[in-house]
Amino acid sequence: MAAATVRRDMFEEIVMAEERFHGEGYQEGYAEGSHVGVVEGRRYGSLLGAKIGSEIGFYLGFALTWQCLLQKCTDEKNNKKIRALDSLIRMIRKFPYEDPTYDKLQEDLEKIRGKFKQVCSMLNVQSDFRIGTESSSLTF
Amino acid sequence: MSWVQAAVSRSSEDIFDEDADEMYLLQKEWNSTMKKRLKEGYRDGIEAGKEFALQEGFNQGYRQGAELMVTCGQFRGILNALLSWCHFNGHDSALSKINNLLDAVGKHEEDVLKYLNSTEQQPHLGHILDSIQDMDLNHTAPAGTEYNEVEAGRHVDGGSSGENTCRSNGEVGSLQSECSKAKLCTDPERSTLAWVKKQTVWLIEELGLSLDILHHVQHLEH
Repeated sequence: MAAATVRRDMFEEIVMAEERFHGEGYQEGYAEGSHVGVVEGRRYGSLLGAKIGSEIGFYLGFALTWQCLLQKCTDEKNNKKIRALDSLIRMIRKFPYEDPTYDKLQEDLEKIRGKFKQVCSMLNVQSDFRIGTESSSLTF
Repeated sequence: MSWVQAAVSRSSEDIFDEDADEMYLLQKEWNSTMKKRLKEGYRDGIEAGKEFALQEGFNQGYRQGAELMVTCGQFRGILNALLSWCHFNGHDSALSKINNLLDAVGKHEEDVLKYLNSTEQQPHLGHILDSIQDMDLNHTAPAGTEYNEVEAGRHVDGGSSGENTCRSNGEVGSLQSECSKAKLCTDPERSTLAWVKKQTVWLIEELGLSLDILHHVQHLEH
């Protein structure tokens, strides 16, 4: 009985060995691949996050400042501009720009861009801002 | 019975040799098969690990990038709004100053981007920042004024041996810029954005603009 068990164990061991070696390699590769993947993913992610963060921050700073600048004079024309700015600021504040898992990220961003352009034309300001130097990849 | 002994010893040698050859071959084949399985497993593992970690890394990086950059963007937005306002209202004297501040923010953004784009720093970010803070040899130069200081310092340092001057200067320079880059993101008192903030506050006060704008600027973290 005992001998039979031993023989079966040995047999199983031989059959399983291929799987075991594959498994060992897999684990080692998985650890290595995870490391590479995190580094690579982080790099792409950080660049996209930086791009969107910069853009959204820009709209917010711009809108908040103009909102303050227009407070003094409250004729009808200005009120219209202020209302548009208020609405842009509300959109930005609601926008979870820092959350890459937000499923409407691109959709909301497009809406904010559209609103920003509208605000710019009301303020009679050009909306195609260029930032930094020519080489910057952050132009939007 | 010597013939038995001879026969036994010869046959056992023969048998042993044959077995050894066969065992050796089998062993070799076994080893190579197992090596192959190991390699296959490794390849499969790398693919799976990478696929799993890419998204996770992307999400982490995205948050980091967005957080680092949103304040830069706000400064740019504020300054651009001020720029167009000054333009409309004839404050032409302020225009060049605002443009200078915009350049400084733009430069800072590029530095942050370069920093994010360098693969080496990613896994050891905290470690690098710590060690840089320990070094304490950083002079962040926001607008060019302090660059002169650094430049002057280099000339003094490198003066003794003419031959090595260039090389050591180069090394100091690159170390310096590495430090600045990291410091820009961590040290609130010495960073470019702190400098931009101070200048912007002065500018707003100079222009006699509403305190609300000051409030927004003051609340920007960097």
